[in-house]
Amino acid sequence: MIHAAAICLVAGAAAWLVGVAVGTLARRSGGVFGAATASATGGAAAAVGGVLVAVHGEGAARTIGAGNVVGAVTLRLDPLAAVFIAVLGIVALAIGLYVPRYHHAGAGSAWYLPALNLAFFASLAVLVAGNAVVFLVAWESMTLFSYLVVLRHHRRAGVARAAFLFLALGETGFALVVAAFAILATQTGTLDFAGMAAAAGHVSAGWRDTVFVLALVGFGFKAGLVPLHIWLPEAHPAAPADGSGFLSGLVISLGVFGITLFAFELLPDGPPWWGILTMGLGAVSAVLGILYALMERDLKRFLAYSSIENIGVILTALGGAMIFNAYGQREIGAFLLLAGLYHVVNHGVYKTLLFLEAGVVEHTTGTRDMDELGGLIHRLRASAVITLIGTLGIAALPPLNGFVSEWLIFQGLFQGFRIGNNFVGILIVVAGASLALTAGLAVMAFARAFGIPFLGMPRSRGAAAASERGQPLVGPGLLAAACVGLAIGAPIVLTVLDRVVRATSGVEIHSRLLLPQLTVIPAHTDFAAFSPTYLAVFLLCVTAVPLLIYFSSRPRGATQIVPVWDGGILEFRARMQYTATTYANPTRVTFDELYRPEFHLERASDDPAGRSGPVHYGFRVMPIFERFLYRPIVRAVERLADLVRPIQSGDVNLYLLYLFLMVLVAYLIYTY
Amino acid sequence: MLWFLRGIRRGVVTTRYPRARDSWAEQLPTPPAFRVDLLTPELAARLADVCASGALRLQNGDLLLDLGSCTGCGDCVAVGGEAVVPSGEFELASRDRAALVKRIPIGERR
Amino acid sequence: MNEEQRLAGELKERTYRLFGRSLHIRTFDSGSCAVCESEIRLLSSPYYDLHRLGFFFTPAPRHADLLLVSGPGVRAADTALLKTLEAIPEPRIVLAVGACALGGVFAEDELVHGRVDEVVPVDVYVPGCPPSPLALLHGLLVAVGRLEEKVEVLRFDLREEATA
Repeated sequence: MIHAAAICLVAGAAAWLVGVAVGTLARRSGGVFGAATASATGGAAAAVGGVLVAVHGEGAARTIGAGNVVGAVTLRLDPLAAVFIAVLGIVALAIGLYVPRYHHAGAGSAWYLPALNLAFFASLAVLVAGNAVVFLVAWESMTLFSYLVVLRHHRRAGVARAAFLFLALGETGFALVVAAFAILATQTGTLDFAGMAAAAGHVSAGWRDTVFVLALVGFGFKAGLVPLHIWLPEAHPAAPADGSGFLSGLVISLGVFGITLFAFELLPDGPPWWGILTMGLGAVSAVLGILYALMERDLKRFLAYSSIENIGVILTALGGAMIFNAYGQREIGAFLLLAGLYHVVNHGVYKTLLFLEAGVVEHTTGTRDMDELGGLIHRLRASAVITLIGTLGIAALPPLNGFVSEWLIFQGLFQGFRIGNNFVGILIVVAGASLALTAGLAVMAFARAFGIPFLGMPRSRGAAAASERGQPLVGPGLLAAACVGLAIGAPIVLTVLDRVVRATSGVEIHSRLLLPQLTVIPAHTDFAAFSPTYLAVFLLCVTAVPLLIYFSSRPRGATQIVPVWDGGILEFRARMQYTATTYANPTRVTFDELYRPEFHLERASDDPAGRSGPVHYGFRVMPIFERFLYRPIVRAVERLADLVRPIQSGDVNLYLLYLFLMVLVAYLIYTY
Repeated sequence: MLWFLRGIRRGVVTTRYPRARDSWAEQLPTPPAFRVDLLTPELAARLADVCASGALRLQNGDLLLDLGSCTGCGDCVAVGGEAVVPSGEFELASRDRAALVKRIPIGERR
Repeated sequence: MNEEQRLAGELKERTYRLFGRSLHIRTFDSGSCAVCESEIRLLSSPYYDLHRLGFFFTPAPRHADLLLVSGPGVRAADTALLKTLEAIPEPRIVLAVGACALGGVFAEDELVHGRVDEVVPVDVYVPGCPPSPLALLHGLLVAVGRLEEKVEVLRFDLREEATA
């Protein structure tokens, strides 16, 4: 099975390289179609390969070219990475099916599609890397190609700045990750992951702590952990829809992969404070992510903040897993790791779906602003249904996949009482409460994000003119089917993930995870139980049975069709509806101390009723991280640079003096 | 201190209508009733003039009282002296609008 | 006459069966001075307590059985009044209360109809300005057939013997 998996992954990589070549011909529509097909094929192959490795439940590694100057290239098939490879595959498949109807043939596509395929290839390389050098080279390539993906519409205002922010923060994270790998490699004496994991026990606690924190922060930049997240809300609207889907569905999951690589494979059995730190940052990210999401009117910025929230949820689960492992509750630790991975898969699926649909909406109405949309459910029927499935999934409403993974995470966190240390137990409870707050706010946020653009009446001409002709359906539809499948087929997913967790942490919880009646239990039989499959069937019956009764019996008496009661008003106008801003206003008022918005109000005259002209109202949430964290750091760096600048005077003689001094110093060091 | 016993002390205050009429109901503002023996054509004309809402009209030598238009203002009672008294009738609902117009003969003598 | 009486009796029987013990009332103000509304509001007070008779106020016309209209029928409210009436499912009753609604206080001009039965078909008229809560209760009970109309037999012309 492992050989089949390897063949699939090689085929996937090859397909993507073919896509790169074909993509350069994308000035013609045949080129676009060919590159997209190559992406999709590669995605399908990678997904199959990833699932096969995960099912196989054991890793394998191969080293090529040992002993040469650059170092050996070690590739490994690791079940933990395989989960992420499966996500990459599904995302690439969906994007490949989406691209032909989204991108036009032309000069822009001719460099964009090769860059996209290279980004897929580099991501796969990150996930199959077996030693630090391959990993870092692949990581940097992945960042660079994602940067190119974000730059697709580089002539538009703000895109170049957003892409630069993405690259800058990505490189900062990369520098920290390099430091982490460098320290770990020097302390363990090997660059190979298997070797590092084996020797990690001998590294002193101080170095291990340093490496972990460097890895957490470095990968946190890529994952979008608060306060390292500020590139996300800028880069996602700037990138094209499939690029945003790729960024959110996969790239930030790679950040999570990096953290799990260090926390569970290279440095397992860390002290509890690692888990507490991760869980704390995760909980803060979750709550802040969704709070800022509620204030956004731009669909894509909203989805970007929602991604920050989901990453927070995942890292809360992973942090909880580390804490439980540290206190000896290894079954619950493994369970939470499983729950976190499940959420990674779910997030990859529904977030990509939502971004692709946001792209469809933007294309067909010309705007991303929720306050200018409306009534799209009548004009984009199939897309509305697909978006609804994705929205129900991400809002964690039963019976879809988001609900299953969040249930698992909650049930894992609720068992904090099994840890002896009461203080840590309280911290876990606080994290669980934060996640509960997040879940509630997420339901409101997504009711707003689906309700305002899709329901009601169109608020602008663009929204009224929307049409579904020529819009991509197959890619998003596939992801919607995956959402449903991941929910109803939860027992299967859990079986596969259990093998992954067994390979990673050595703990098998299959018997304490799934009961024969397709019921899931959280690692302890006497705590809770729930069957996603039966829940879906039950909900279907609950909706279907009344409908059957209604349609089968003939109503007595004539049925009148009368207009909807609207309060007796003369005419219902689109401006009478809720807007996204007003829907979220109660939240804005409640959390005013956090948002500290700046308001501006313009009136044509002093008439408070606005009868003599329009009234313009706007508000802007205070960007606390940019203002209080990043700007001071940037200013400090600039000041430091100003201090150092005199060295670069431009005088050749001074540079010759520097050379002479450096040679002198090197000589002195060499002799002594 | 015993304020919460106020309800028990006061007893039931709800009206028993429609089983029994309240004693004060007759003193509500109600349409007028006319002593036809004291009613002269001149008085009738003056009453029709004074009526603020046009409920009193002269027609064919009779006074028409439109109960539907009467607002119970009491101007006719003030002007008419002994000839006009408040009727005390408030149960005036009707399915027929025309049935609310009453004909008052003028100057009939028994 | 017998046929009429028989039909009237049948109608009363039917309305009583449908609404006698439970009636939901939806009020509509068609430009009134709001004094009728305060008398209507008093019906919910503990003194008059219309709940003991099985009457309830409801804001939703879809849940209502009876439309209670006050005011002289302002033209600006025509659409709203008609929409409210149409939103009440049949069988339904329309009550016009107050001297304004019955016509006679305001003359017809470009702002008002003067009487609401030009806008909606009225079943029971309740005079008064305002009709006291007791008069309103009488009107409601007449509308559902629990009380008989009295005004037919009332006399407003008194003779000497009557004052004794």
